[in-house]
Parts: sequence; structure tokens; C-alpha cells
Amino acid sequence: MLPDKLSSNLRGTDVAGIDLATLTPGFNDTVHDSQGVFRALLDALSRPGKIVSIDAVLPDLEQDGSTAAAHVPMAAFAALLALADYSTPVLLQHEHRGLSDALRFHTGAPLTQDHAQAVFAYLHDAGSMPPLDAFSIGDPETPENAAMLFIRVDSLDDGTPMTWRGPGIRDSHAVHISGVADSFWQERARLASQFPCGIDCYFVHGGSVIGLPRTTRVGVA
Amino acid sequence: MSTSAQTPAPAGPATRREWLAILARTPRASMKAALDTALDGASPPEFDWLRAPDIGLAMVRGRVGGSGDAFNLGEVTVTRATLRLRVREGRAAVGIAVHMGRDKERATLAALADALLQTPAFEARMQEHLLAPLAARIAENRAQKQARAAGTKVEFFTMVRGD
Repeated sequence: MLPDKLSSNLRGTDVAGIDLATLTPGFNDTVHDSQGVFRALLDALSRPGKIVSIDAVLPDLEQDGSTAAAHVPMAAFAALLALADYSTPVLLQHEHRGLSDALRFHTGAPLTQDHAQAVFAYLHDAGSMPPLDAFSIGDPETPENAAMLFIRVDSLDDGTPMTWRGPGIRDSHAVHISGVADSFWQERARLASQFPCGIDCYFVHGGSVIGLPRTTRVGVA
Repeated sequence: MSTSAQTPAPAGPATRREWLAILARTPRASMKAALDTALDGASPPEFDWLRAPDIGLAMVRGRVGGSGDAFNLGEVTVTRATLRLRVREGRAAVGIAVHMGRDKERATLAALADALLQTPAFEARMQEHLLAPLAARIAENRAQKQARAAGTKVEFFTMVRGD
């Protein structure tokens, strides 16, 4: 993966306008840290509802001059660093200089404003999310082309009780995520009929994530 | 890579473009020696990696005769590194290095030299003790090569048949 990334960066990716003096450093050990984060994200998606911790691999964000980046949960930053590359346009719901510079520099990923084009999206404000059908849900033949959302929430264990069922869950799992708009759950339920197309989500808070794959059925208890 | 465009033998202090070209053509041993001399026993300042040295491939493109259609000449291994000096206040200098080859330590030294050259406290010493000797070495190598090539020069002339 690296040679590809490198040559593409040298060829064309525009890194102009990135302020290197205040740029947030990425992983200390790019290869192993990204593998660790990838593994954690995989675990989270295989066991929907389980709180998976992926902290303690990134340099402290606050210390490095990028004050605004402090508000982005470590887990979201780590996940995007590990997953994004030059072929995956990333959408940020709100303009965020520190995060966008770091993603462009460390991963070479292009940033996009076009929801349908985004492969990964970071949604900072779960209360006012764009409608889910704005994002790509993939085609029946290529369902892997769907968007993956990282949604920042206020809490992963203190919210409206929900019951999740589906693959990866024995019987049912009680989940308490707070701060997500009701419309999200309704829109998501409507996508279920389009399987294998659909959208996979991660709810992020601090250094932890909960995975919500498209196959999970969510019931509000 | 445009190796012939800039001549690394500047009259005044080298600009960043020139010193990056000089550093890119300096082998590790000379760079280390010159950097040690320039630092004069002082330990190099602390820095953080923005991008730890990594190795990858870059496609080199060329044109026949400098004016033909561009074609892919081949891939070269490239080592790149980006570091940032730790400063207590003010803007931190950022040093970068992108080199042909797989020598991570050389890229580290070059990136450090680039950052120091942008730091006022070190700039004069670095220009004098690091860049000047390295530029002279490159110029000398080039002159030697030219002299060797000039020795093989053959003058062709055409005999004009007398009427």
C-alpha cells in the first residue's frame, strides 16, 4: 500500500496550503498502529454494540498547537488515519482545519463536499446530520462502495435504551447511545430493505467506538 | 528529476531550493561529517516526526530530446521524511527530505539540515560549514567528470577534395 500512496502523493496530491508548523503528527509507528486500529474497528463492526477502545496510539492532540483538533475524538482521528488513502474521498461535516490538514498530509486522502462521493464521512454534530440518502449506499453488485460514517456522540453508555439484533449479536444487545437525532434511526431502518446496499456507521466518543453495520436491526425499547 | 537545471555552486548564501538540491546529492557519510562540523560538538536540537522516514516508489518521466512526448522512464525508490523542530515559542521550522534510494538515515540528516538552515540561530554556521563544503564537493566532482569527458573529445573534419 505504501509505494502506491507515496508515488501518488509525489505526483499530484495537492499539499499546498497545509501549515506544517502547526500540523498534528500522525501515528508514531504508522504500520503497526494502523493495523491495531484496523483490528479494533473490525472487532467493533463484527460485534455491533460492543464498546471497543482504540485510544493511546496517537500523539496528544492538544499539546501540538492544534487547539481545534482537541475536540475531534481521538478514535475518529485514528480511524480516519488508518483507513483513508488517496482513493477514498473524505467528507467533514464541519470545516476543521487541523483535522483536514492532518488527513491530507498523512493519508493523501482528498476532501470532498459531495456527500454522494464520500467514502468516509466524519459527522461532528450527531444532532443535525445530513439525510442518510445523501450518502452512497453502494450498488447490489458492489455494496462495498457504500459510505462509512463516523458519528461523534455525547456518550456511548448513557442514552436512550435501544435493543440491537442481527449478525454478530447473540439474541439481543442493549445499547445506550445519546445525542443522535431520531430521524437518523428512521432513515436507517428504511435502508434495510435495500440490503446488501446500506451504510455502516461508527459512533465515536473519546477513544472508544461502537460499530453499527448495515445488517443490525435497531429497536427502540 | 531535473539534475542539470540548477548548478549547486551559489555565489551568495544558498536559497532553500538550492540547498535542497545540494542535500539531495550528498552521500550519507559526507552529510554526517559536515553536519557534525557545522554543529561543532553541540547536540542537534530535538525534533518530532511529522512523517517518519518511509520508502516508496516514484515514477520518473522523461522526454526524448527534451521536447518529445513525455513517457514513463521507470520507477525509482524514494525515501522521504518530514520533521519539525521543537521550539518553546514562535514558528517551528519544518525540514523535509525526498531522496532517491533507501537510506533512511540520510533522509533524516538531510531533513534536520533543512530545518536548521531555516532557523536563524543556526543558519550562518550551516551555510558556511555544511552547504559550502558540500557544494564545493559536488562542483569538484562535476569538473572532474567534465575533464574526463573532455579528454576523449575527437575533432572531426572533412577533407575537401582538391580540384
